[in-house]
Formats: sequence, structure tokens, C-alpha cells
Amino acid sequence: MTAIVWQRRRAAARATWREFAARRGGLAGLIGLAVITLLALLAPLVTDVSGLDVTRATARPWQPPSAEYWLGTDHNGRSVLLLTWWGTRVSLVVGLAATVLSVLIGTVVGIAAAHFGGWASAVLMRFTDFFLVLPSMVLAIALSTVLPRGLGTIVLAIGVTAWPATARLVRAQTLAVEARPFIERAQALGGGHGHVIGRHVLPAVLPLVFVNTTLTVASAIVLESTLSFLGLGDPTRVSWGSLLHAANVHGAVSQRAWWFLVPPGLGVVCVVLAFTLCGRALETVLNPRLKGER
Amino acid sequence: MNLLELRDLSVHYRGARGEVTAVRSVSLGLEAGETLGLAGESGCGKSTVAMSVLRLLPRDARVEGQVLLDGEDVRGMSWGRLRAVRWAAASVVFQGAMHALNPVHRVGEQIAEPMRLHGVTGSASSSSVSSSVSALLDQVELPARTARAYPHELSGGQKQRVMIAMALACEPRLVIADEPTTALDVVVQAQVLDLLKRLVSERDIGLVMISHDLSVLASTCDRLAVMQHGQIVEEGPARQVIAAPTHPHTQTLAAAFPTVGDPASRHVTASDTSTGPVLLRAEGVRVDYGTTTAVAGVDLEVRAGEIVALVGQSGSGKTTLARTLLGLQRPTAGRVLFEGAELPRSASGLRAYRRQVQLVLQDPTSALNPRHSVYEAVAEGLRIHRIAGDEPTQVAEALSHAELRPPERFFPSLPHELSGGQRQRVVIAGALALGPRLLIADEPVASLDASVRGEILALLLRLRRELDLAALVITHDLGLAWTIADRVAVMYQGELVEQGTVEQVLLAPRHDYTRTLLAAVPQHQGSTRPDQLSVELRLPPHRLLG
Repeated sequence: MTAIVWQRRRAAARATWREFAARRGGLAGLIGLAVITLLALLAPLVTDVSGLDVTRATARPWQPPSAEYWLGTDHNGRSVLLLTWWGTRVSLVVGLAATVLSVLIGTVVGIAAAHFGGWASAVLMRFTDFFLVLPSMVLAIALSTVLPRGLGTIVLAIGVTAWPATARLVRAQTLAVEARPFIERAQALGGGHGHVIGRHVLPAVLPLVFVNTTLTVASAIVLESTLSFLGLGDPTRVSWGSLLHAANVHGAVSQRAWWFLVPPGLGVVCVVLAFTLCGRALETVLNPRLKGER
Repeated sequence: MNLLELRDLSVHYRGARGEVTAVRSVSLGLEAGETLGLAGESGCGKSTVAMSVLRLLPRDARVEGQVLLDGEDVRGMSWGRLRAVRWAAASVVFQGAMHALNPVHRVGEQIAEPMRLHGVTGSASSSSVSSSVSALLDQVELPARTARAYPHELSGGQKQRVMIAMALACEPRLVIADEPTTALDVVVQAQVLDLLKRLVSERDIGLVMISHDLSVLASTCDRLAVMQHGQIVEEGPARQVIAAPTHPHTQTLAAAFPTVGDPASRHVTASDTSTGPVLLRAEGVRVDYGTTTAVAGVDLEVRAGEIVALVGQSGSGKTTLARTLLGLQRPTAGRVLFEGAELPRSASGLRAYRRQVQLVLQDPTSALNPRHSVYEAVAEGLRIHRIAGDEPTQVAEALSHAELRPPERFFPSLPHELSGGQRQRVVIAGALALGPRLLIADEPVASLDASVRGEILALLLRLRRELDLAALVITHDLGLAWTIADRVAVMYQGELVEQGTVEQVLLAPRHDYTRTLLAAVPQHQGSTRPDQLSVELRLPPHRLLG
């Protein structure tokens, strides 16, 4: 029996894909993402990690782009191309992990607040409002100064500050779904909270959550770069933000070393643009109300 | 010359799947002072006909034939002429007064709006406008201070009266009323219909009434045209069309709105009426929402294999009572007993109770999750209760009990692929899958087309006969109670004012409210109405409780 269900789901997924593929922006974003992810995954296989080690840097510092160093070298004589390439990994990992964390918290809080209502909703939503009005940048800075430095801290700092918007969004959608009579029917059939949430609310809310995820990744990557730029990142790892931080601290501007500033900056722009293009296209496909307004 | 004449009117819509013909060569005529009824089920093209009179159709509509308004073809009018004709020569009472009024403007301004637009004499000064607004409100039997109210402050019936006042603002000669009473209670419906009749005779206007309910049209219209698939299948004097319908479709429509007291439309025979043990009993059930009392102490019982109709208008608390009986709402006071034992309060106890008592909701379209196939919808209850056995067999059995045959063909269908009647059968099958002893059906046919209503009611009767399934049917429709119920309980403002066998309550009502309800049911077949609405009713304030 489940065969029929899966067949139908596959057909639905195909239809969604066709509609997504018809949107050029979304497709471009997806291809961009695929290329960037592939590069990030291939970095350890194609390149030599030791090139990141300051003590083993052999080249002259502040070298402009040349045939040997396509994007020049930094203040220690390391290849900027290599640094940027490896920076992709940290930026993507932090962006995705922080997004998963924030969307998870947001979805759980949003659904719980809408489903249980009453005082549970009041408490959860005031809690959400508290985080919503805190300037997320300031909170993230405070968290990453208090906690030990490392990738985990950055992920936590971003995840904990980015969820309130998701929670509000999911709560609104859950309220709309729960007002439909089929929820009452499920309750009359004997379904408990788990059944109503798992079988009816979650499938209806998930597309929205999914779209929200892709859009949150973009802002999480920006936030990660910002924190690293401010020198609050993991000092042992190279990320785009920390590259920009290094360039700033070591006077890349006065050296007129544009090749040190532009590549990590462009990296951030490309990834964020790709995620946003994907997210917007997905939003239009999954939310038919937006279709007419294109 | 006819006030309105349609000659060979056809309307086509260009859709994604090619052109769809909504109206096919319809010819109709209407004289001043006459009322024409246009009857038919949803999608038969009756609203399209009405909207074509004022060229209010969407842009993708293609119109053929002639629409003559006072001898002038609406299709040939210039934009300016059309604007002048709209509302001044012909106006519309739109369907659903709740949404056709602008919620941010006072009612008086909205009535005055067409007068200002059309420069009706005296509309330049605000004092004369307000005096003509009060005159219009007076005509529709509303106090002049209503003009200061916002739409949400008025009840459904009052809003409908405001809509009628708006339609009359520029003294048009033709009024088109599209389902003017569909969302209203029987009592209010009767008042609005009387008002429309009076206005037609007093002002000598022509009225086109559109409705799916033949009995509504029968009580107001001189002539009746019945539409099906965009065509007029029968036309003639209202009395004749309803008393002796010749077309099979008209016969189905007429049968769907039975006359209370007519033995032919009563489908319960004395042998059906069983006196089983008491299945469900409510004792002094009272439900308060804050300071509002929805149910004020109700005693009710349903016996095994018995169909009980709970009748009342909206806001009488009948849906709240049903939710309480199902254990979806906890009573403030009193108790509900099932087979002598009080309803459990624990989650697991309530879950076990749900296998015995099941719910059928009013609108099957929204009662089914649009993402779930028929199979999933019916199997949902089986999965919740982890019922042992072969799931596909059980689902197939439930579907065939609900007369969806062959059941396997419906397994993969999604709700939007089914008709309204089929959807309601899926909801019923989902309830039957659990093998309940009692079905609580909240307005089970109210949102269905006339021709399907009879089939669903017949299904309920057959389930009672074959599965010994008791049912508590909640309805505002006395005709429905007359058709299938053994006993009737009448609810008014949270209390049961009268209960007894169908014959006792509907043929010899003892309580004033029951008499009012019966008097408000649109009558036809020449029967005389009892002294119209002689009972002064305290209509309940507008409440959102069903």
C-alpha cells in the first residue's frame, strides 16, 4: 500500500522539481551551490593542507597575482587562492550547522506554542519576543567572547540568535493549519498530540521551514564572516571572515593588496547569492500565493 | 417591452484546458413587478447568467447572444453608459453579505456611495443624503441609527438587509439577488424573503432571485427557471414547476427539500424505530466560554440504533453540545454518560471512547487533509488505534459500507479529485472504519448539492439498518429531521426547549420557538403558513459558536 503513497510522493517531487527548474535564477543558484560544495569537499584531495601552515610558507609576502600564485600571497606568503578555497569549508559548515540549529529550535518552539496554546504559548512567545528584540549581533558577540573559542561556539552563537523569526513564522502557519476542520476530525478519530503534529501539522509546515532554512543559511554565513572579521572566530581555522580580519589587521589596504580582500569577499557574496536565489525560487514553487506576483 | 430579456445567451470561459461553456443559449424574460427564480446546483451557470446582465463577468469570459435591459443591449454599451446603467438601472444583492461589505466604513456611507457616484438628486448636500439613507434603512426595516454602525456590529440578517438597502439606493428597476439568504438562519431567512416580496410589490421592480434551494424560490417567485449544465431544463410558473416537475433534475431538486408533514418525504417507517438500550446520555450538561454560556444545562439521550435530530439555529449551542458529547470539549457542569459510564478524562480513556462514537463534519472539503489520499484518510483511525488485521481489507470494507465501489479504485485519489458527495462518503468511511456504535453528524449535508443530499441521508438510514448504527444529526433544517430522524430535540439559546418523536414535535409543536421555526420554513404546494412569525423572538447576539 505504501507503494502507492511513495509513487504519488515521487510524482509530486518531480512536479516540484520541474517547476523549480523552470526558474532560471533558482537553477543558477543551485548550480552555483553544487559547484561551491564540490570544491569545498574536494579541497583536501586536490590541494595540500600544509600550504596553510605559516611556518612552511616559502613565498614572498604581499605578492600580486602571478602565474604561480593566481590570487597572490598574504602577509605570510601563503597563497590567497588556497586560503579562500579552504575558507569555503568553514563558511559552509558553520552556515549549515547554525541554520539547522536555529530552524530546529524555531520549528519546535513555533509548533509547540501554536499547538498547545494557553499559557504554554504565552510563555514560549514571550521568550521568543525576548530573543527577537535583542540585537542578534550583540548577543552573538557576547556569547562568543564568554564561551571558549571554536567552531562550536560560533555555531551556537548564530543558532541561538537566529531562531525567533522562524518560530514566529512556523507558529503563524501552524495556527492556520490547526484551524482547519481536518484537525478536529483527527482528534475525533482519537489522534493525540503526536498524531496531529506528526501527520497533519508538520507536513503542512515543512515546505515553509525548508524555504526558511535556505534563506537563513545565507544570513548565518554573513554573521559567521562578521564574527570572524571582528576576530571572534576560531583562530586555528581559516574562514572568509578571518581572512578579511587578517587582511584588515595586517594592513592590506595600505599595501594596496586588493587580491587579499576581494576573493574572500566575493566568496561570501557568491554563496549568499546562491542560497538566496535557491530559497526564493523554492518559496515561489512551494507557496502558490506568490506565483501571481512575479 | 420586457424589463430584462436574455436572447440566446451563451458564456464561455477560456481556461487552461481550453474553452469551457458555462451558459448555453439561455433565453429568459422578466417584466416589472415580477419575480423570476433561477434554480440550480453549484456550477450550473446561474451566477454567470446573473453577472452577465451587468457585464460583471471576468475578463476571460466570451459572451454570445443578447442581453437587453429595457430594450438596450448591455453588450453594445460604451463604458460610460455601462457605468451609468450599473446600479441606477439594475443592481445586485451579492452572495455572502459578510464579505460584500467593506469592514472599515460605516454602513450608512456604503449605502450612500452609489448615490454619490450617480449624482442622484439631492446627493450634493450631506443632510439630504443622510435622510435618504434613513429612508432606505426604514424600507428594509432597520432603525435609522444603523447607518452609524460598522458591518461587524450587525448580525447576518441585518447585514443582508443593508445589502438590500444598498441595492435599492439608486432606485433601480431591476434587482438581481444572488443567493440572498444562503448564509442565514431559517427564521431570519423568512424575514428577508418577506422583505424582498414586499419591496417588489410596493416599488414595482423586477427581481431575479438565484438560489439552489427550491423552497426559497417557491415562496417568493412567480416564475421559476431550473438550470443544469448551463442550460435551462425547465421553466414555468413556480407553483407548477415545484408541484409537478417534469424534468428529472427538477424532481431531484424538489425532493431534496422535503415538506415537513408530507408522508411521502418521510423515509423512516415505524418498524425501523427500535427501542434499544440508552447509548449516550447527557445530564445537565453546561458549557461556558468565559462569561458566555453556550450550552445551559441539557439533558439528552440517544438509544442504540436510533437517529436523533438536534435542531436549532446558528448560535444555539448545538455544535458545542456535539463537541462536548464527543469529549472534545469538557463540560463546565453536568456529565456525559456512555452506556452508563461517565466519559473518561484521561487521554487513553478518551481514545478508547472514540472507537465507539465518531464524528462527521459539515464540510467534507475541509474535513479531509488535502495531502492525504482516500486510503490514508480512511486508514488514519485504524493506525491511531493500532487495530489488528489486514489494513487494506478493512479500508476497502469501510469504503464499500460508505458506497464507494469498487473501493480499490478510490485508494489513491486525493480529496480534490472527488465530488462533494464522494468526499463526504470518505469522511463517513473514515468514521466507520473504527466500527463505532454512534455517529455524531454536524450538518452532514448542509454544504452538499441538493441531488447528493438525498443519497447521503439514505446512506445514514442504510447504515442504521445494516450496522445498527445510532446517529445524532445536528441540523438547522427541519425538513432533514422530518426525513430521517426518529426523535427531534429543539435547541434554543443553549437549552433544549422541546424533545420528542418527530411526529410529536414537528406536527404538534408545544413550544413557541418550535412553532416559529416551523413557520419560517419556506412552504410550497399551496399550503398556508401559520400566522407569520407571531412569536417575538429574542434573537441571540451574533456569536461565533455554531
